[in-house]
Amino acid sequence: MANTESLDNVVLELRRGVIVLAVLSQLNDEQYGYSLLKLLSDQGLEVDQGTLYPLLRRLETQGLLESVWKLEEARPRRYYVISAEGKKLLPKLKKEWAGIVAVMDKMLA
Amino acid sequence: MKLINRYVAEVGRHLPLIQGREDIEKELRSTLEDMLEDRAQKAGRASDETMEIELLKEYGSPQKVAATYNPHPYLIGPQMFPFFIFILKLVVFGIMVGLSVVMGIQIITQMSVMGSEFVSIVGKGISNIVSTSIAAFGYVVLAFAIIERFVPASEFKMGEEQEWDPTTLTREPSPDAVKRGELIAEIIFTFLGLAVLNLYPQALGMGFFTNEEWFFIPLFSAAFMAFIPWINITFLTEILLDINLLRTGLWTPLTRVFKIIIEAAGLAITVAVFRTPNIIGFTAEMFKNSSITAEAAQTLTTIFTTMFPFILIIIMIIQGIELAKSVYGLFRVNYETK
Repeated sequence: MANTESLDNVVLELRRGVIVLAVLSQLNDEQYGYSLLKLLSDQGLEVDQGTLYPLLRRLETQGLLESVWKLEEARPRRYYVISAEGKKLLPKLKKEWAGIVAVMDKMLA
Repeated sequence: MKLINRYVAEVGRHLPLIQGREDIEKELRSTLEDMLEDRAQKAGRASDETMEIELLKEYGSPQKVAATYNPHPYLIGPQMFPFFIFILKLVVFGIMVGLSVVMGIQIITQMSVMGSEFVSIVGKGISNIVSTSIAAFGYVVLAFAIIERFVPASEFKMGEEQEWDPTTLTREPSPDAVKRGELIAEIIFTFLGLAVLNLYPQALGMGFFTNEEWFFIPLFSAAFMAFIPWINITFLTEILLDINLLRTGLWTPLTRVFKIIIEAAGLAITVAVFRTPNIIGFTAEMFKNSSITAEAAQTLTTIFTTMFPFILIIIMIIQGIELAKSVYGLFRVNYETK
């Protein structure tokens, strides 16, 4: 039981580290929270909504995302899209990620 | 949708008072409605209350959801916590020593009345130490919680969190950099001083049990009480200045001038107290109805009335040195920048 819990925690930490990169990479086209959640899930990355929504707000506060409310099918939706600052940061993050993957692949081989 | 609305309102109720609270509620409602619609489509039927219940159960309790939006979950954050513990130990230790000395004096001066009154003094003394320590704990927590709110953690870095550069050992520290530790200690102690002077004036004095009745003689006379508003103004201005310095991290000529004014005002108050006659409330007369012997009362009064001017002189010297340091700080920086 304890082992399962620690495994879950480690996996959670690993995922938490990559969510920012995943979110920024998927927001070249605007998405609202739930559509982004499904988009990430369709590509194999399950993100808890309790993590995603506060993260989107935080990234917006940091100036990496922009958002706008739109009324669709009588339902207001908040659409997020990567900002100019986010676009500048994304290649650097991708490079970091590639470096981490290369190092870890070598280590785990 | 009724349940979703109630759920969103419940989350809102637990959300911290942060900007964009309504926005969070609106976004949450929209998301939950999307999710419900999705479920209904997959199930091939219209959404109903059972479906809503299932969805909300999976989404989590309102408190848990609201907590994920809380940007500041700490009363006293991890960066400030070691310093909080340090100050707390100092304050509680000071209270224990101070009040134990008071209790000791009471026991010595009432040696003639042993037995049940002795037990009463010790009992009252211990309960006083415990209750004052708990109150002080509360004030220290309050003071740190205020600092935590006013000075965001990102601006405040202590100890190991600070990006440390070994070359700082070889060069002189910037004369304009504020010493955060000193400022925090000053805020806490000024805050405690304010609290004691205004809320617990009874802590400044001596209490006895006489004929089963609590008998209290204040340390200071009414002449001293007239100074309290001035002391309050000086202390409050000092706290505000210190909070501002904590936020900015640097002294400016303006804040240095403010500091000089505050310190000069503090010194002026001490001088005024020193020059005011009969500032100590203890007189042999006041002990007349207590169980203390006339001789002991006289000794006690003499000790306090003789000691107090000396204490004031020491305070004046310290204040004078601080004032001189502030004036020197202002002129040195101005000189160096010319």
